[in-house]
Amino acid sequence: MGREVSESCVDSLLTEMVSSYCDRFYANKPELAARRIEAIGFQVGHQLSERYTMERPRFSDNLEAIKFICKDFWSELFKKQIDNLKTNHKGTFVLQDNRFRWLARMSIDPSSEDGDLSQDNSAPVTENKAAQATSMHLYFPCGIIRGALSNLGIPCAVSADISSLPACSFVVRIKA
Amino acid sequence: MIVCVAVVGHQNNPLYIQSFTEADDALKLHHIVHCSLDVIDERVNNPKKSGPTLNETFLGLLYPTENYKVYGYLTNTKVKFIVVTTDLDVRDADVRNFFRKFHVAYVDAVSNPFHVPGKKITSRTFAERVSTIVKSFGLSSAG
Amino acid sequence: MANFLAQFQTIKNSCDHLVIAVEDVSDLWPIVKDWFEERLPFKRASLNNKTRNPVFVEKLAAEFILTTDSRLRSRFPQEQLLFWFREPYATVVLVTCEDLDEFRTILKPRLKLIVQNDEREWFIVFVSKAQPNNENATKSAKKVYARLEVEFSSKKRERCCKLDIHCPEANFWEDLESKIMESIRNTLDRRVQFYEDEIRKLSEQRFMPVWNFCNFFILKESLAFMFEMAHLFEDALREYDELELCYLETVNMIGKQRDFGGVDRGDDQAVLLNPGNKPLTQIVQDDSFREFEFRQYLFACQSKLLFKLNRAFEVASRGYSFIISFSKALALHENILPFCMREVWVITACLDVVNATASHYVDGLVAPDIEKEFYRLQGDLYSLCRVKFMRLAYLIGYGTEIERSPVNSASLSMLPWPKPAIWPSVPPDALSEVFSKEKMILQETRRVKHFGIQRKPLPLEPSLLLREANRRRASLSAGNMFEMFEGRPVFNEGSGSEASTKMSPSQKVRSGVMSRTNSSPGNFESAIDRPMRLAEIYIAAEHALQHTISNPSLWKSLSALEEFEQKYLELTKGAADNYHRSWWKRHGVVLDGEIAAVCFKHRNIDLAAKSYEKVCALYAGEGWQDLLAEVLPNLAECQKILNDEAGYLSSCVRLLSLDKGLFSSKERQAFQLEVVNLAHSEMKNPVPLDVSSLITFSGNPGPPLELCDGDPGTLSVTVWSGFPDDITLDSLSLTLMATSNGDEGVKALRSTSATVLEPGRNNITLDLPPQKPGSYVLGVLTGQIGHLRFRSHSFSKGAPVDGDDFMIYEKPTRPILKVFKPRALVDLAAAISSALLINEPQWVGIIVRPMDYSLKDAVLQIDTGPGLAIEKSHVIEMESYADVSQSAADVGKSDAAHKNGSLAIDKHFEQLRLNDGRIVFPGWANNVTSVLWIPIRAISDRLARGSSSVSPQRQSIVDGMRTIALKLEFGVSHNQIFERTLAVHFTDPFHVNTRIADKCNDGTLLLQVILQSEVKATLTIYDAWLDLQDGFAHTRKGDGRPNPGFIPLVISPNSRAGILFSICFEMSNAEEEAKAPQPDSILNIRYGISGDRTIGAHPPAVESPGPEVVRQDLIFRSALVLKRPVLDPCLAVGFLPLRSGGLRVGQLVNMKWRVERLKDFEENEVLKDDDEVLYEVNANSDNWMIAGRKRGHASLSMKQGSRIVITILCVPLVAGYVRPPQLGLPDVDEANISCNPAGPHLVCVLPPALSSSFCIPA
Repeated sequence: MGREVSESCVDSLLTEMVSSYCDRFYANKPELAARRIEAIGFQVGHQLSERYTMERPRFSDNLEAIKFICKDFWSELFKKQIDNLKTNHKGTFVLQDNRFRWLARMSIDPSSEDGDLSQDNSAPVTENKAAQATSMHLYFPCGIIRGALSNLGIPCAVSADISSLPACSFVVRIKA
Repeated sequence: MIVCVAVVGHQNNPLYIQSFTEADDALKLHHIVHCSLDVIDERVNNPKKSGPTLNETFLGLLYPTENYKVYGYLTNTKVKFIVVTTDLDVRDADVRNFFRKFHVAYVDAVSNPFHVPGKKITSRTFAERVSTIVKSFGLSSAG
Repeated sequence: MANFLAQFQTIKNSCDHLVIAVEDVSDLWPIVKDWFEERLPFKRASLNNKTRNPVFVEKLAAEFILTTDSRLRSRFPQEQLLFWFREPYATVVLVTCEDLDEFRTILKPRLKLIVQNDEREWFIVFVSKAQPNNENATKSAKKVYARLEVEFSSKKRERCCKLDIHCPEANFWEDLESKIMESIRNTLDRRVQFYEDEIRKLSEQRFMPVWNFCNFFILKESLAFMFEMAHLFEDALREYDELELCYLETVNMIGKQRDFGGVDRGDDQAVLLNPGNKPLTQIVQDDSFREFEFRQYLFACQSKLLFKLNRAFEVASRGYSFIISFSKALALHENILPFCMREVWVITACLDVVNATASHYVDGLVAPDIEKEFYRLQGDLYSLCRVKFMRLAYLIGYGTEIERSPVNSASLSMLPWPKPAIWPSVPPDALSEVFSKEKMILQETRRVKHFGIQRKPLPLEPSLLLREANRRRASLSAGNMFEMFEGRPVFNEGSGSEASTKMSPSQKVRSGVMSRTNSSPGNFESAIDRPMRLAEIYIAAEHALQHTISNPSLWKSLSALEEFEQKYLELTKGAADNYHRSWWKRHGVVLDGEIAAVCFKHRNIDLAAKSYEKVCALYAGEGWQDLLAEVLPNLAECQKILNDEAGYLSSCVRLLSLDKGLFSSKERQAFQLEVVNLAHSEMKNPVPLDVSSLITFSGNPGPPLELCDGDPGTLSVTVWSGFPDDITLDSLSLTLMATSNGDEGVKALRSTSATVLEPGRNNITLDLPPQKPGSYVLGVLTGQIGHLRFRSHSFSKGAPVDGDDFMIYEKPTRPILKVFKPRALVDLAAAISSALLINEPQWVGIIVRPMDYSLKDAVLQIDTGPGLAIEKSHVIEMESYADVSQSAADVGKSDAAHKNGSLAIDKHFEQLRLNDGRIVFPGWANNVTSVLWIPIRAISDRLARGSSSVSPQRQSIVDGMRTIALKLEFGVSHNQIFERTLAVHFTDPFHVNTRIADKCNDGTLLLQVILQSEVKATLTIYDAWLDLQDGFAHTRKGDGRPNPGFIPLVISPNSRAGILFSICFEMSNAEEEAKAPQPDSILNIRYGISGDRTIGAHPPAVESPGPEVVRQDLIFRSALVLKRPVLDPCLAVGFLPLRSGGLRVGQLVNMKWRVERLKDFEENEVLKDDDEVLYEVNANSDNWMIAGRKRGHASLSMKQGSRIVITILCVPLVAGYVRPPQLGLPDVDEANISCNPAGPHLVCVLPPALSSSFCIPA
């Protein structure tokens, strides 16, 4: 399917935001940068949820809201639904997206590694560098989810982890 | 004729309240809106009462007062829209329609990045849109 | 058919229970009557409801009636049909018989005759009077009964039962009851069936012209009534509901509109609970039902049933909606109804329903949510009633007494005026009342709010009563009303009271006219043509109402102001209390506010304050500031009256912190004034006032203030004041909280000086005492206004939004102050490491190195240790210090620079004065490393001793050491202190070493003096001479100077030079004896030094050395020791051979030396008694371990040949050929010692014997 321009704009906007927060504003304070990015995401999600829940009956319970996030909200944002939703029925939900758009075109450039590192330990280094970079990019969607849910009256904490690169799963812990 | 519209935040705090009477007796409308929150609380807190309109955003008529009517609308984000109208035969369809338009306007207003969530809505555009919607409602119910 | 109505009603009223007919065939009833009737009412009946489902009915009332009774006699068939519900529901046939033949011949045909009519449900009770002991009697009775059963019971139905009078069977009564029930059930079913068919027939043709509601009504109600009798209330209720429905849609159809009713006396009182209030015949006139009565009638029936069903809640809810809808109906017919009929009716209706439901309602019977709703409905009814009541009160002129609060305004100003066909006019006899009313209107003054708040009062009327009333009067057209009012714009807005006051002048004019018109009623009639005045309207309304209201108590409560207020209070309380028990808390609280208003009026301030508190809390909690702004001043007023200072102040503060737009600046200033006045007045118990909403504060944007440990600083804070005017804070203090450690707790900074806060942003600087290391955030702002202590916790909302305020994200409070851990801020070090000249004025250099910390006006205290003095005569020099490498590079240059006192261009140089040991640093030295040159002189009085082979020991370093204690005070307020003690090393320029080089045979001795330079500077010797001790003399009459060819002699640093003197023994003579003997000889050296003070010793500091270099000569004197005899052995040291067997590692061994005097000294030799020798053993300590003393004195007589043996116990430590320990005699010149036998050069040490221990006794 052909990508639309706006989409790529969003992609580059995201990367630009992440880089400017991580490398410029809060160069040596990653956790602060993460918080700011997450906060921006929060506001975005807050407003989007307002818009996307128009014209629909109110949710009777948390599960409905989460489902809404997985289905309608996600497809509004990414033209696809969450692929897999798991829950422990104690307020923790795992939303898995097998091909998360904002990671889809992300890759680690091995040449960025300095060559003199011997092969065996350069691999892990690449790994966790990749992890850092991508996790930085994931604070924004986490914020979006958190913002949306909290605007729906569900205070929660959202974290994300990457199993294998384009796939990614968000963990929502609802504050009791 | 609609005499007052209001947006009330999820903590029951007024976000926007506008009366359309020429007399400066807005306070009584504030009072009406504020008290109608009781009804909304009641509806939401015991769903049995809300019956068929379970979880529907449109809450219908809140007050069966003999002089004016108060209609309510509760969004998914626990934001309440409240309309006070003085004409006593109003078709629900009109009110629903009104609320739909109003909700769109509201969403546009709060999507403004400079709007602080939970704070009063000060956007002038919003005010203008609302007044036009109110006028149009007057017409539709009249005709 | 309508003519049955009357009868119908009487029947209904007469009978209210089922009837059971008793066919007493053989006169048994009197006997069994009591037994039968004590079964009544039936405990538990099972009947079928309308939908033929079994229902169980408790205590079904019924009555046994003999068929011979008149009540069951003679009915016209069709009315029998119509009122079928009253016919018996079962027939009990009582028979007895002993004889079979009698039964067959007489009883059977008779029974057959009775039961042939299958209209009724019958069964037979056979009563046997037979005594149980009477055998054949009982037998025959049995026979007959069996017979009876055969005859009358069938397969499908058991119609007989047997009662033994004497011993009734146990289950007889149950059997009987069940039979009765069965019959009743069947009858009921049949009749229901019948009525339903009838009703269906009718309702099919209901929209045809022939349709007659009356028939329908009678049938329907009969059915309903029947159900009611059978205790099937549900069904009965349903019937009534259907009836009402049908009525509303048939009778109220257009065209069929008949007279409405409600014009009779007493109709103003609603009758919602008493169906029998009016006979149906009145309600129905030529088979049209008057809506007014009939709908109330229906509702009454319904409510009756509902109460029987214990559903008071439903009565309330139906009642409320009925009242609403019915008052609409009343509104439609208002023009035919009496004045304000509608309002009065609603009031009474509401009160009826409220009281009835309240009395019938039992708590806890229904689900909690139903209960809540029930109370809500009660509240609704009360408040509806309340509104109507207020409306009436306003109409008769109590409007000014009604609080113009939002709630009242909301309910009244949207409630239309009554619309009578013609507005009532003043009765002719009421003029006096009019006048009194006018007086009242004139006198009444609107209560002005506290703080002098000016508000346009909220309206209590939908439109101006004056115009409304006049418009509705027959003779005036709305037209001229208008132009007459446009003349007076005041009428278009504002309340009636205003209007009247404005009108007063015209009244003055009119009053004359009035008084004249009084005389002739004719004129008065004509007075209708002119518009009524307010007073007149009031009076007219009052009179009209008096006619309308039939309920005396209601009228009473309108007749006088106190009565009105009492009723008003009662209604309001009722509404509030019920709302409080429902979901509608807000309604409740708001009404509490109304109660408070009344309490306030009656000076019941305490109560008022409490209620107002609640209302304010409600509005404040949800941020409805507009409404809050309306109530808060009232609360404040109460608190002021109650003298509750704390409350009053906080109210003022809350008022101030409301939206600016809500009050005019004048009012806000008034609030502030109140606060300030109260603060400066004597407050009995000053409580801290929380002004968090009003005064907020924040650190300045940007990085936090950074301080070094122990430094004070000044903290500048932004404070936002919400006061409309400048306000003076007598004191202000701000707490800092350490983020790192909680226990570190809170530090308060206070500025005792009064600060003036302008409205809006203020910058305040507080001076900050030294804090512990850590980072701090702002805590709480406290302060003092007069006697008032206030507190503010909240950080500025007004503070510049730095990015993520708009994100709902808990922002951590920014640290405002960072205090660093203690670290070295400055370093003081000696500029040189090498020694300086002792006893000479010298420059000692101290390097002052600030470590990125300013030394602004730092002060150095110098304190010299013992034996060291600062040359007061000299100034102290300070210059910026280039780091070592550079200075090493251009040492010459800097050297030159100092020589001629001119400064290098790139360097700072400054001369400083020392006053009482303190030096103040110049500004330029704040941040650059500088060196401080201090002129000092180390004093040592002892004469330097040269060393010779005889006395080789040299002076130790220690006695050249001097110390300088330095104390540097710096930092913002000299709070930082750096102390260091520098050690400076001083020394003589030379160390002198002498030896007798040679001895010529003519007796001249060559004395060699070796001069060792001790300083890092070039020394030049210009002259040297020797003052000899006794016994020595210079050869060849000289001055004892060395060969001038050597002079001047230059000694570069750390090098040595020698000078030769030739001397000889001197014969002592008498005159030599005379003068004091000179113990030792003195070497004098005149020398010059050229050195750089940055390196070490240098020419003595002189006051302002001139431009041309003057050579300054210094004198150095050193004592020498010359000893005789010279160069011939007088002692012999012999090494005694070791015992054989050699040495082993770890074996103790004795080393022995023999010391022997070879010759005794000349007698004339005067020496310190020399009968003992100093010995010393030198050994390489890694080869040997010496046990015992290495050094000591051994006594040896002066005789020639006297000898001693010195034994040293020692252990060899390593194997191999090692040098053995040597014995030396330090006091004796080597030249005077002959060694024989000489000790071995090396000895052989064997490795240790294989042994567990190293120590084998020798």
